[in-house]
Amino acid sequence: MILIVDALNKHKFPMVLDQMFRLRARVFAGRLGWDVTITDGREEDQFDALDPAYVIGLDEAGNVVACVRALQTTGPHMLSDVFHAILDGEPPLRSATLWESTRFCVDTERLGRGRSRGSVTYATSELMLGAVEYAMRSGISDVVTVIDPVMDRVLKRSGNAPYDYVGKTVQMGKVAALAGLLDCTEERAASIREVAGIEGEVFLTDDEALALPAIAAHVPRKSALETYCDEQIAAARNVDERIAALKLKAALADKIRSHSQVGA
Amino acid sequence: MGDAFDQAGLIDLAELPDAAQDFDAFLREIRDRFGVDHVAYAGMNPINRSVIGHVTYGKDWQEHYATQGFHRIDPTLHSARRSIAPVDWSRLERDLDYLTVFRSAHDFGISDQGVTIPVRGPYGDIGGLSLTCGGSKTEWKALCRENLHVWQALSVHVHDLVISSDSFSSLLRGPSMSMREREILQWTAEGKSQQDIADILTISHRTVEVHLRSARHKLYALTTAQAVGRAISMGLIYPG
Repeated sequence: MILIVDALNKHKFPMVLDQMFRLRARVFAGRLGWDVTITDGREEDQFDALDPAYVIGLDEAGNVVACVRALQTTGPHMLSDVFHAILDGEPPLRSATLWESTRFCVDTERLGRGRSRGSVTYATSELMLGAVEYAMRSGISDVVTVIDPVMDRVLKRSGNAPYDYVGKTVQMGKVAALAGLLDCTEERAASIREVAGIEGEVFLTDDEALALPAIAAHVPRKSALETYCDEQIAAARNVDERIAALKLKAALADKIRSHSQVGA
Repeated sequence: MGDAFDQAGLIDLAELPDAAQDFDAFLREIRDRFGVDHVAYAGMNPINRSVIGHVTYGKDWQEHYATQGFHRIDPTLHSARRSIAPVDWSRLERDLDYLTVFRSAHDFGISDQGVTIPVRGPYGDIGGLSLTCGGSKTEWKALCRENLHVWQALSVHVHDLVISSDSFSSLLRGPSMSMREREILQWTAEGKSQQDIADILTISHRTVEVHLRSARHKLYALTTAQAVGRAISMGLIYPG
């Protein structure tokens, strides 16, 4: 299943993001040998500080098995600021309806072989589908994706082939990199679904994701005081009551914090 | 595909003699075109840290908003702009800030059904266009689904014009067109269709479209015809 994490909900999913950055470290520094910076076992770069959106594949227990990062091309992004060699000195594409996708990776250690749910192939296709459908839902018409030749072949055999490329293929350290263009259309989504046999909704709501065992296990336990405050907020029958309950919780914030630290 | 705006019939700000004066009029055009209650733009110039806002809200709400200092807590400004995708206000947390602003907005007849489309520019400039509309949830969702791609483009268009209306920033924002973008604009100026150009350059029709969209963005043009006109006047391409 697919979870979208961005600046608005990332405070709910610190454990998911941590797992994602560790997966990226294993894949990009480890398996692929890219020249990326690893800090405390996590691969993070300056674009992660710009509030990108992450499309994250989770297994049934809630473990991160795949991820990709999306940025707007109107703002700073990798093709304009890092991968400009691909563009051969040319200025990058910039458009309101074009997103850039980078850091696509799948956990080949956790996932199995074959084509069924729980396989590398299925998780790869599900993540591609999640990225296309999330972009479509956001009014985005195309995505430019920075990939290596291996990923390019994976896209092609997943019913998700780029319709074209921008710039050229360049050697980046040990690996080659290129930029493909993908339309975000019903046709592409249907093609990915057909090849992988994916049916139905792939997106999880925040609450559904929080209920998955691996994620629920990391949600900090609330103190009795915080539980009481949250019950008051939930029980509010109108806006005034809700505001009063929220103010009560804010006034008790110091006490709530010290209690939960003791509890942890 | 083609120019969504040709059909939309919106005025183009950059063609107006004194564009800055007419941002409000432009927002009213958007409001009427899509039949929403209100349209608002807010943006921040990272160079002089100034915040610029344009709205279609009534004067009474604008004054109340300012005297209450709602711009300091308004989640449609502060939370929404940190997303890269449009943020439906139903996604915003119902916290104190949200309830304070929207309880008050409700008293002024402003709905809490809305969407903010955040914009990021290349120099750390940020902004967002918000549209709000009361009425049925189903109709609102349908309106969003149908028009979000146009609102995306409009949001960036308004943002670019507002930010570049500041003289210092406009120095930084001269168009940097790639060879491919110039080449495609040149063929367009020669009267070639997108399919002709795709055939001439042996690239896909969609690649031509993506480059044209990028060229329009860089030239602050809503339509391809305007982009060609501007590219000629700037000496980026030759008259056809």
